[in-house]
Amino acid sequence: MRHFVIVGILVIAMAVLTYFGLNAAGLMPEAASLQAGPIDWLWNLEVMVISFLFALIIVPMFYSLIVFRRKKGDMTDGEHIEGNARLEITWTVIPLFMVAIFAYLGAGNLAETRRIDPDAMVVKVTGIQWSWKFEYPEYGVVSDELHAPVGRQVLLQMTSTDVIHSFWVPEFRVKQDLVPGRTTELRITPTVIGDYKVRCAELCGTSHAYMEKPVIISSQADFDTWMSGQVALAAEAAQTPEGRGQALVAANGCAACHSIDGSAGIGPTWRGVAGSQVALSDGTTVTATDDYLYSSIKAPQSQIVAGFEGQQMPVYGFSDEQIADIVAYIKTLR
Amino acid sequence: MLFLLIAGVIGYGIGLGLDTLIMKSVRYSAPVPSAFALLFAFTAFFFGIYGYRGITRGLVYQIIGTLVGGLVVTGIRGLMGLSLFGGFFFTEPAWVFGGIAGAVSFLFGVGVMSDWVKWARGMDTPEHHEDEPGWEKYFDVSLDHKVIGIQYTVTALFLISVGGLFALIFRTELAASGLQFLNVGMSLFGQNGPQLYNTLMSLHGMIMIVSILLGISGIINYAVPLLLGAQDMAFPRMNAFAYWVSVPASVLLLMSLVLGGFDTGWTGYPPLSAKAPVGMQMFFLGVFVAGWSSILGALNVIATVLRMRAKGMTAWRLPIFVWAAVATSIIALTATQLIGLSFQLVMFQRLLGMGFFDPAKGGNPVLFQHLFWFYSHPAVYVFVLPGLGVISELLPVFARKPLFGYRWVAMSSLGIALVGFLVWAHHMFTSGMNEYLRVPFMYSTLLVAVPTGVKFFSWVATLWKGKIETPTPMLFVLGAVLVFLFGGLTGPPNATVSVDLHLHDTYFIVGHFHDTIFGGFVFPFFAAIYYWYPKATGRRMNEFWGKVHFWLMTPSFLILTFGMMRIGLLGMRRRIADYDPALGFDFTHLILTICAFGIATSVLIFFINFFHSIKHGEKAEGNLWNSRSPEWQVPSPMPAHNYDVPFEVVGEPYDYGLPGSKYVEFVGEKSKH
Amino acid sequence: MTHTQDKKSMLSQGVFIFGYLAVLTVLEFFVAVTFEAIALLIVVALVKAALVVYYYMHIYKLNAEHEGDHNSYEYKSGTNRIGLWLFLISDSFVFGGLLVMRMNLLGLTRPNLNPTLGLAVTSILLISSFFMNRGETMMSNGDRKGFLNNTLITFLLGLGFLIGVVAVEWRLAAHEGLTPSSGAAGAAFYMMTGMHAFHVLTGLIFLAIVWFNGRRGLYDEKHYPVEAAAVYWHFVDVVWIFFYPALYLIGTVIL
Ligand code: HEA
Ligand code: HEA
Ligand code: HEC
Ligand code: CUA
Ligand SMILES: [Cu+2]
Repeated sequence: MRHFVIVGILVIAMAVLTYFGLNAAGLMPEAASLQAGPIDWLWNLEVMVISFLFALIIVPMFYSLIVFRRKKGDMTDGEHIEGNARLEITWTVIPLFMVAIFAYLGAGNLAETRRIDPDAMVVKVTGIQWSWKFEYPEYGVVSDELHAPVGRQVLLQMTSTDVIHSFWVPEFRVKQDLVPGRTTELRITPTVIGDYKVRCAELCGTSHAYMEKPVIISSQADFDTWMSGQVALAAEAAQTPEGRGQALVAANGCAACHSIDGSAGIGPTWRGVAGSQVALSDGTTVTATDDYLYSSIKAPQSQIVAGFEGQQMPVYGFSDEQIADIVAYIKTLR
Repeated sequence: MLFLLIAGVIGYGIGLGLDTLIMKSVRYSAPVPSAFALLFAFTAFFFGIYGYRGITRGLVYQIIGTLVGGLVVTGIRGLMGLSLFGGFFFTEPAWVFGGIAGAVSFLFGVGVMSDWVKWARGMDTPEHHEDEPGWEKYFDVSLDHKVIGIQYTVTALFLISVGGLFALIFRTELAASGLQFLNVGMSLFGQNGPQLYNTLMSLHGMIMIVSILLGISGIINYAVPLLLGAQDMAFPRMNAFAYWVSVPASVLLLMSLVLGGFDTGWTGYPPLSAKAPVGMQMFFLGVFVAGWSSILGALNVIATVLRMRAKGMTAWRLPIFVWAAVATSIIALTATQLIGLSFQLVMFQRLLGMGFFDPAKGGNPVLFQHLFWFYSHPAVYVFVLPGLGVISELLPVFARKPLFGYRWVAMSSLGIALVGFLVWAHHMFTSGMNEYLRVPFMYSTLLVAVPTGVKFFSWVATLWKGKIETPTPMLFVLGAVLVFLFGGLTGPPNATVSVDLHLHDTYFIVGHFHDTIFGGFVFPFFAAIYYWYPKATGRRMNEFWGKVHFWLMTPSFLILTFGMMRIGLLGMRRRIADYDPALGFDFTHLILTICAFGIATSVLIFFINFFHSIKHGEKAEGNLWNSRSPEWQVPSPMPAHNYDVPFEVVGEPYDYGLPGSKYVEFVGEKSKH
Repeated sequence: MTHTQDKKSMLSQGVFIFGYLAVLTVLEFFVAVTFEAIALLIVVALVKAALVVYYYMHIYKLNAEHEGDHNSYEYKSGTNRIGLWLFLISDSFVFGGLLVMRMNLLGLTRPNLNPTLGLAVTSILLISSFFMNRGETMMSNGDRKGFLNNTLITFLLGLGFLIGVVAVEWRLAAHEGLTPSSGAAGAAFYMMTGMHAFHVLTGLIFLAIVWFNGRRGLYDEKHYPVEAAAVYWHFVDVVWIFFYPALYLIGTVIL
């Protein structure tokens, strides 16, 4: 009996210590969305239960190790206790209840994170190896950054052009894969103004680690300013082929592979490529005329630049005019 | 020892010669000759220590088979007017066919098929093959389950080192943000930068998993017939086959490293895996072949337990480890087919353009994940159930007390195995699968906690009021309980969908599964080795160094996984070669890397102890641990055909502390062998 | 009907079972042609499979008690039987996975295939099972000649099935534009029939082996290998009992 009392006290002490120790260490990053609320609440509850269960097992175990260890020279066996059905039933049924409660709470919790706001701002998200493209249909703007006003729900309608990616901003908690061939949805209501980053959370090839783009949550006013700036910029850029090309390049994430400053990347740099002599993988050399650049974008696998055999450039569904604009832009990069 | 080294070097030389020879005629093939160089070195190594027999001949056959297979397909392609050579010397179909042909050739070369070929030709074969005494039998086909068990174990240890070595390499890269040495400048087998990281990381995952499968087969093969009082497994030839098929499988897996690697993680999700280099195919093939090892091994275990028990060994008197082995085998027998199938489908998608997972052709990428996890979730219980069985088996011995609630513990293994079939989609909560599936899978997943909890509580109750001794095997058992508890308790948060939306694909998950795997497999595996080593060799491993191993490995490991979980929660994604320095994880990662080296050092100590003790260990021929189990009632090392005198079960297995009770009694005449 | 032991009644039992199977197959065909009743098709397939598993593959033998020496041929055959069934359980997960794949990708549509040819190859395979059963029964009763003849017929029918699927059906389908790379329907069709054909091929090899060894005079006493080959062959048939409706009968035709 004495043993049980001591262990009982120790378990409670250990559980409390563990829980507060963990909490003091600060487990989760800053919470910056409405969805983070319920998730952090459930997580905290789980930490509490885990601390208790941890203590419940670890304390009697170490207690036995210390108190019931074999004394020197003692050759006898332990007490012959085969089991105890009532105990076994207890520690089957109580965990059963606990997990049932957790599952119940979990279901409610999930529903809360998915609550629909009819007034949500729709953003179409496309994942491309290895970049993000955000379209704002309300404004007709395309960008590689996600901007949103604080407090208004954002409905992300997401898809991918190549492989599976995953949208995750740790401060917002929720995460959703982008699957080619289908549209998945994610609802986020930012609550704290600040600069975050969306980080691709599903392995998507070589530069998966770098598939990050800014997410900027600002006041409605700042958001509107940014948006009208974008609209104006887009309108201005749309005047010239180079401008349109640059916009397309930015929106489609070509920079994930192609630098414009001459440094090496996954694909060849664009700086000075137009008009240069390009060595191909089959041993021949061609001059990078407009036609060559056109076909490199239209059918990237037709002519492969020497040294880039291992990498595949994705095929984009550009129209001929769009490609002409991109080529015009590439030609400006001297 | 020097001789082995020289042989290896010569082999490597031959490979290098080939290298330059081919380099002149064919372009871009640098990885291929290095592949052959490695294979040659390998083969030469075995030739050096063993001569042209057994495994050496198998490897030679495999090399020839691969080349011939590849050439045949290349020839056919030539006739059809298709391109002959690809970026890696052969084209992809040629490599795939060559890989298959190589694996099959290996089996013929090593000689596991010869009895079956004779049967097919209507000939009889002797019931038993006698192994010659000495160490040489371990490199040749043996039908003795003890030899096969040791073969499995040593292969598993070898693969753990390889996988661990990969982990050390990429862990070193992770020690600080930015790319330090796995960058564009460093090219290995034609890969560099993050691509190389991804290959190493993915191979680390799969090689470790294969090594676990071999490791559990090792313990099961060695222990189960002994515990049952059987002379051997039910199908000794199939047993040998199941082991030997794992060798070409490992070779294929390692070949993927040199054939361009692959960057999909061990899960190989399409569409990414449909685009990866040829290495992907070798990976699929290797896993597929290793899967057969697992399936046939499991089949054998179930048949053995059903048919080969000693007299009086009823269901409730089976040693608890046997229950665990059966539960594991049920999963391995059935579910493994699904990973084979899912990988085959991607292989065919790549080879023939079949659109299973290609949305452009009406395929469904998420379907792959369902098929894959239908195996790969139950597989995690394949990893741990034998380990938990080892814990349950050894605790009573060292606590000198009956296993608390024997029947409950036995049934909990089956319970975990069966519920484990119904939870696979918890890996797919964010995958975009049907939304309404998420909540049911949360319920089923959480349910697994219940039978696992039964085990934990029973273990604690077993320790309570025992007379606990702590030699090395017991230390590892206790470490296993502690570590598996951390792993297990971090499971339910992953299972609650909304929380998992945050945790998925972070280092929190990485921490979770290293904890479960180490607690459920690695620690018990070491415990089993320290425990049964005297049975196999007649000598025991050094206690002092065993304890050093434990006391170095446990804290390093705990810090490693706690660190992983902590940064995971704060936003560290999995499977990234580099991380944003702004996150402030550099210091933690540095600590993690140091801990990884701590683990490696401890494992190195273990290896030295392991091999040194074979010849120089302290002699231990009797019932070293004072166990009630039948195998300890006879002298060590175990006689060639196990029990010279058959035994009968007359009592409960774990009645420690009950005076005068007996588990087995040796009766009857000496058997004929 | 219970399982009987003497040769004559075993043979006539085989005929009865075959009759049931034939009727059910025809029924299945007409059900599919006239009205859509997937539940009914599933029930019919299950009944057919159960008949084969019980009477042709004699699953009940697994239960037989073997007294005495663990080294006797009897006891070992019992062990082998368990091994074989475990293997079949394992293998059926492959085919189960393929069916799941088909349902997931195609749902209630199916590839455009030739229904008559489908019925024809299905019948051939079913008939081959009938002869296999005769062959096995005869061998276990010491009738070597009957065994050889019936096994040969089985082999030839099996070969016919293989040719019907791989050489004829595949070519016809490809002609209609259904190729492995044409889309999900083509992928599912070729994968399923291909995997099944691979099993038929291995079954044929087993049959050839027991046939040759039988001709050499083996299996008088130790006829477990014949039983094993037969059980495997029937298993291949059972798989087709499910694949046939899945490919030819369920749902509406698409390409
Ligand atoms: C050895 C293997 C092993 C084991 C035993 C487990 C055990 C469990 N795992 Fe783990 N898991 C993995 C290996 C393992 N896992 C791997 C390798 C991955 C990653 C794969 C990849 O993506 O690469 C993974 C990933 C993984 C995920 C997916 C995460 C994600 O990617 O988003 C989930 C989600 O539910 C999960 C849950 C669980 C649960 C609930 C258990 C339970 O079985 C745990 C049960 C145990 C306990 C709960 C502790 C003891 C019980 C008690 C003390 C009783 C009382 C308890 C309660 C009332 C809660 N695991
Ligand atoms: C058995 C299973 C197992 C084991 C034992 C380990 C052991 C280790 N693992 Fe691994 N790990 C996995 C299974 C395992 N892992 C899986 C499945 C993944 C997921 C992969 C994926 O995402 O696809 C993973 C992923 C994974 C990651 C995440 C990578 C990423 O997401 O980018 C990390 C990161 O730190 C890591 C680290 C380690 C470390 C440091 C060890 C250490 O314990 C290793 C210690 C070292 C040794 C055991 C070797 C010691 C031997 C010697 C020193 C001998 C010398 C050598 C020779 C004689 C040849 N592992
Ligand atoms: C996944 C990486 C990747 C992305 C994203 C990518 N490319 Fe490429 N690109 C490559 C690689 C690799 C090559 C060289 C191999 C080849 O020629 O196909 C290349 C070659 C090219 C070339 C020929 C350059 C030369 O030096 O001859 C052009 C032009 C080009 N890409 C345009 C684009 C445009 C426009 C986009 C975006 C809309 C884009 N790329 C996005 C990888 C990429
Ligand atoms: Cu996109 Cu990772
Ligand atoms: Cu799982």
